[in-house]
Amino acid sequence: MKKLIPLLISSVLLILLGIAVGPVRISLSGILASFSLENIKIAFSSPNMLEENAYIILQIRLPRIILAYLVGVSLASAGTASQALFKNPLADPYIIGISGGAAVGASLAALYFPQYMSISALFGAVLAVFTVYKIAKVNGHIPVDTLLLAGIALGFFTSALTSYLLYVRKEGIHNAIFWLMGTFNGSEWDDVKLVLFSSTLGVIFLFFTWKELNLLLLGEESISMGLDINLYRKLIIGVISLLTSFAVATSGIIGFVGLISPHAMRIVFGPNHKRLLPASALFGGSLMVFADILARMLLRPSEIPVGIITALFGAPFFIYLLMKKKRGELLG
Amino acid sequence: MVRLEVRVSFSYNQKEVLKNVSFSAEEGKLLAIVGPNGAGKSTLLKCLVGILKPKGYAKLNGINLLNLKPKERAKYISYVPQSSYPEFAFTVEEFVELGSYATGGTVEDALKTVGMWERKHELVTKLSGGEYQLVLVARALAQGSNVMLLDEPTSHLDINHALRIMNLLKALKKEKVVVAVMHDLNLALNYADNLLILDKGEVRWIGKPSKLTPEVLEEVYEIKAKITEVDSLKIVTAIE
Repeated sequence: MKKLIPLLISSVLLILLGIAVGPVRISLSGILASFSLENIKIAFSSPNMLEENAYIILQIRLPRIILAYLVGVSLASAGTASQALFKNPLADPYIIGISGGAAVGASLAALYFPQYMSISALFGAVLAVFTVYKIAKVNGHIPVDTLLLAGIALGFFTSALTSYLLYVRKEGIHNAIFWLMGTFNGSEWDDVKLVLFSSTLGVIFLFFTWKELNLLLLGEESISMGLDINLYRKLIIGVISLLTSFAVATSGIIGFVGLISPHAMRIVFGPNHKRLLPASALFGGSLMVFADILARMLLRPSEIPVGIITALFGAPFFIYLLMKKKRGELLG
Repeated sequence: MVRLEVRVSFSYNQKEVLKNVSFSAEEGKLLAIVGPNGAGKSTLLKCLVGILKPKGYAKLNGINLLNLKPKERAKYISYVPQSSYPEFAFTVEEFVELGSYATGGTVEDALKTVGMWERKHELVTKLSGGEYQLVLVARALAQGSNVMLLDEPTSHLDINHALRIMNLLKALKKEKVVVAVMHDLNLALNYADNLLILDKGEVRWIGKPSKLTPEVLEEVYEIKAKITEVDSLKIVTAIE
């Protein structure tokens, strides 16, 4: 567990950096002053009364960075669990179409019943994961090619549905970008509360099932070791859907974090979920905050959707993994 | 004395794969199941450990294992699957620990029994085929169950490792019911106490290896066979 300390430190440093940087320059003393007890009290009671710097820090940057971190934790944990569930190191909520399903649910709710956005996203995610599972399964196994093809097909279909919904309702290109490319722009404390709820619930559940996740890697054999495989497959599908859908409902589709985090951490910590899960969660949070800093800083003062950043780094990484898989080296 | 009594039928896609397969096995006697490819040998083992859902029963001293929940069943019966290349790089110790999920059995004893305790920190992906097979047996041992089923434990192994596995089974049978599906007739004849020949999902012959006649083999395998004995070692040869 000592190996987790550098990940914890980098998480804290990146969160601090995320708070410090932005289009408006605020001095270090200005940042520290924003965290005065008085400002925090005002932020809780009537945040609009905050003076400008404190408002930027406490009401704009802080919720944004914390949301980014929690979404990163959620997606990395969902990715780790997906890879165990599908027994496949190329699985990730984005690649296998779960995020797309969640986005359809969320955008549908955004247009017709906005108060149920997270629940609708959850419903979309569950539907997507079951669909991929059914399509990809061949004689009880899930081969890489059918998994990827099913995920890609579902991804096209769901992105067409999301675009169509936004197009017919003339919601404008901005919303489409939000759902399809993902961004933390405009994040609020209410978003943080939602994802804090889903990530706490999901991550704690996964930590308690690290033994079952290890056994899932063995597939059907694990039944002989006492795993109730059907029960745990359903539970894990539920948790992956919860983690992914609440992330998508608050920040749109952000790909590849769920793929890269478990992969990078498996190289250091091995496949045992006792260590892999916390490492992957911490790494995913840091990676997302880092990607968000780039998204805000690269074309300052304007912003790039963070999903573009993660895809720019993630897609080449995915191709690299596919090449390794082709050469039979992908053993995790 | 531990005794396993089995009577199972299993159908897949409306095709009857196991037809009322009935046998018993007991502590102290190694039962080898042999038969042509596609006879249903692996299916039979998968039925007994709950991977497949057959009709019938598998009673261990009167308890029907087929009715138990997976975690409960794993306390009574363990399974060494056909060896395939390990996909994830667990250490030997972590890999064997997977077997102790239901029972909390001791990994150290299991690894010492197969002689791999000193290698506990190595990755299973770096082991040779024979060493990996020993680790698979250790994983089943960690379950601490009274029955151990093995699916072709010596296939793809060199003669040294094959004999090591067979001698290990000989030692294990003293305290467990051991049932092994074997593809190597000669190893089965010389190491098993009882032999069961499965063909097209049916039990074709069951008895002591010494009673096996070439006629039975000819009928099941559709070959001309000869069984010779050299220095009390039985050797099956196909004549044409």
